[in-house]
Amino acid sequence: MPIFAKIRSLLRNLSSANHADLDLDREIDSHLQMLIEQNVEAGMSAKEAERAAKIELGGIEQVKEQVREKRHGSWVLSVLSDCRYAVRQLRKNPGSTAVAVITLALGIGVTTAIFSVVYGVLLRPLPYPDANRIMAVFEVTSKGRPSRIADPNFDDLRDQNRSFQSIAKYNEFIASVSGTTTPSRTRVAHVSPDFFKVFGIQPTLGRGFNANDAKKVAGPTVLVSYGYWKQHLGSPEDLSQAHLKIDNAVYSVVGVLPVGFNFPADVELWVPSDLEGENISRTAHNYSAVGRLRDGVTVEQANADIGTIARRIHDSSSEQGDYLLKDGKVIPLQESITGKARSTLLILLGAVGFLLMVACANVANLLLAQLSVRERELAIRRALGATRGRLVRQLLTEAFLLSSVGGALGVLGAFAGVTGLVALAPANLPRLDSVSISIPVLVFAFFLCTIVAAALGTFTAARSTSGEVRDGFAGEGRGQTGSEGSQYLGRVIVAAQIAITLVLVIGAGLLGRSLMKVLEVNPGFRVDKIITMDVALPSLNDPKAKASQGVFYSNLIDRLKQIPGVQKVGAVSGLPMDGGLPDGTFVLIAQNEMPKTPDGLGALFNQKERLGNADFGVATEGYFQALGIPLIRGRFFDERDGANSPHVAVISESLARTRWPNQDPLGQTIEFGNMDGDVRLLTVIGIVGDTHEYGLEAPPAPTVYVNLFQRPRSTMTVTMLSDTDVESVTSTARGILKDLDPEIPVKFRTFSQIYSASLGSRRFNLILIGFFGISALLLATTGVFGVMAYSVTRRTREIGIRVALGAATGEILRLILGQGMRTILIGVVIGISGALALTRTVKSLLFGVTATDPLTFAGVILLLMGTALLACYIPARRATKVDPIIALRYE
Amino acid sequence: MLILKALVAGELHGLGISRRIQQISGGTFLVKPGSLFPALHRMEEEGWLSSFWGESENNRRAKYYRLSKSGLKQLEVDTERWGRITWAIAQALKSS
Repeated sequence: MPIFAKIRSLLRNLSSANHADLDLDREIDSHLQMLIEQNVEAGMSAKEAERAAKIELGGIEQVKEQVREKRHGSWVLSVLSDCRYAVRQLRKNPGSTAVAVITLALGIGVTTAIFSVVYGVLLRPLPYPDANRIMAVFEVTSKGRPSRIADPNFDDLRDQNRSFQSIAKYNEFIASVSGTTTPSRTRVAHVSPDFFKVFGIQPTLGRGFNANDAKKVAGPTVLVSYGYWKQHLGSPEDLSQAHLKIDNAVYSVVGVLPVGFNFPADVELWVPSDLEGENISRTAHNYSAVGRLRDGVTVEQANADIGTIARRIHDSSSEQGDYLLKDGKVIPLQESITGKARSTLLILLGAVGFLLMVACANVANLLLAQLSVRERELAIRRALGATRGRLVRQLLTEAFLLSSVGGALGVLGAFAGVTGLVALAPANLPRLDSVSISIPVLVFAFFLCTIVAAALGTFTAARSTSGEVRDGFAGEGRGQTGSEGSQYLGRVIVAAQIAITLVLVIGAGLLGRSLMKVLEVNPGFRVDKIITMDVALPSLNDPKAKASQGVFYSNLIDRLKQIPGVQKVGAVSGLPMDGGLPDGTFVLIAQNEMPKTPDGLGALFNQKERLGNADFGVATEGYFQALGIPLIRGRFFDERDGANSPHVAVISESLARTRWPNQDPLGQTIEFGNMDGDVRLLTVIGIVGDTHEYGLEAPPAPTVYVNLFQRPRSTMTVTMLSDTDVESVTSTARGILKDLDPEIPVKFRTFSQIYSASLGSRRFNLILIGFFGISALLLATTGVFGVMAYSVTRRTREIGIRVALGAATGEILRLILGQGMRTILIGVVIGISGALALTRTVKSLLFGVTATDPLTFAGVILLLMGTALLACYIPARRATKVDPIIALRYE
Repeated sequence: MLILKALVAGELHGLGISRRIQQISGGTFLVKPGSLFPALHRMEEEGWLSSFWGESENNRRAKYYRLSKSGLKQLEVDTERWGRITWAIAQALKSS
């Protein structure tokens, strides 16, 4: 029953508040009348009776208000009325409301957009069941770094561990795949049998791998990604006819993996790793490993378990040396995927937080200025009986309204911003596909709005309700001195804004200087006018068939040279800045020392003085010419170096310098057979300039180049130096390749694209932090301007008196500028110390500058002070134009 | 609780309740309108009281309040609880 009564009265209160109020009016009135009558009966005069009755009753309106507050649902009504009032209040000052809303929208929008990236990359769980139980397993090298795992070591870890319910190894490679609409270069993974069990997924169509697939009993089998099945196979329900030719071997498609399964990243095809056979070396790190923890096993326990096994392998292995594992390591898979991006993203999130703070400070200042105008209104409300809590609620409501409108606009903007961010993001940022404005991101945005609103509301409420009621009225009369407190607070806020802005802009400055330094680095080759063509012949092992691939490339290069406008054509196994070349250890062996047996060769590897480390590249003469890599001594490859002549090599300058510091490298003979399986000796015939293989920021890698026509290879990148239109060269080249063999996949790029992609993450960080810095600078400038302009308006009378008493224009200017300068300087000093403390966190992103680069600091401080001074100057100018007569009449 | 008690004897209007409480508490409690009316409206919404417009002794229209069944029950609960509290406090005072 009472529940019904409550609901009924709630509904009645909400629907017919007027009726209830009328009822209350009559009741109170009758009460008053009865009181009067009683008093009259007690012998008072009519007037006295009324007075006594009113005293006993107290404030009629207050009683009514108290009754209203006690009613069910009264808070709904009062919140509604607060909102109505807040809307009216905000509409009264459309200009400053708009500025506040836009500022908040900017702050909340940008923060939400950046958070969506942070959430998508770092926080969102991987899309697998119980993804936090999936671990990445590593060997640890003698230098303490995590590395991939050798086959026998993996077998031991798999068989001996007590931490994982399933553990699997995998590696990936790029293969030429045909048998679909167009031949393509596709990422393929070799996976061991438990791979999909680790991820807890099943094929959506067909079946997974079974024991036979791994044992070469039947023909080779492959699983395909959902996207590949749809795009390249035409989504057939019946897989029995689906076959793919991967590097010339035919595989039957047996299953389709679920949508969204993307591990290892960008892999489209999965084949059983056991088809490859095992490499018995404990130092050939060919596989990565993942495992799913047993229930109740923690990461630490698994780590200790794997470590113990790894150390046991280390102690008992016959293959001692630097390449043997020292230890083992287990980290959550998600962490291992996002590891490198983590610090950068957190820096960006921190920077955007600063921007939000600057934005909030601006809004706080705006509200503060409005508040001093409203002092009188608030005082009246308090005099009429509004409690302090009621006023606080009113101000909080206004702040909530502001921040939710700003936040809603901001989130709308964030939708567009996220699309832009994803487009702008460097390709090496992992998990970009999981970045979007999702529910958790919206929840975050909502919390952000609430926090901002609570902060702003509390701030204004604390400011406005601290004084006595009488001060509110008195303040108005005192004119210029009335809000000394809020003026002071305004300047504190501006100083804080300047400090934060300084930190942001210095951060942006340091990143900008780093990019300039990076661009100053000479890459060691030409970047423009180069068209590249990735060609992938099927990979082969038979030496005779391989020789035919050398002939194929020779033909291709000869025909490409005929294209009008193409000046130089060459080929290389791996372009600089595009992943780099494989590296390995070579042995110095004189012609007459060549051992007859593999064991003899192995013995030479134990003589440290014979060894050298270098990258291994396969190239043609035209490659050096097209990229303009200079010949320093000796000669390039030429016609003398045919397939049957003695094999030759060209080395890079840094290798010559470091490996043969006091000798002439020309004429030396080396054996580098562990790179391509060819143990014939290579005679060094030339030294070429260094190239920055791994991007401008990494030092040039010492490199050994061998001749493509002596050491043929299936996948090469053809480089063409061309003056003419990229499109026409590309289409002609495509035609030539198709003519030679229509089944060969090819990909065209320009070297400028590769070069600028190598700077992608640097540019991404700079653009974002630069954007935050500039926005903060603009906001801080408007902040300074606002506070100064307000202060000048407030001091109009004082300035008028000064002018009337004979103050010169210069003095007034100095007075106002001096006041502004003090604020700015305090902000700058705090900002410098903040920057000194905080730029250390971006150290990992810097290149060629220190985190405390004096030039950047000086430049940014000058920029900031200049802008801030300008913002002060305009109000100061206005102050000098004050007419004393008008000023004194100002009130 | 006192308001509920005041209404046990029969329906009363606001002023009547106020006077009655003064009377039954021997003049100890003076309930001011500022507390009386919010309490009355609250109790009515809780369903402990019902109200109607009636004629006062002086033929003036006044709003009368009457105790409902659940109000009577509430009074019993309150009385019982109050008894316990006062007993407990008295015990505490005695023991020290």
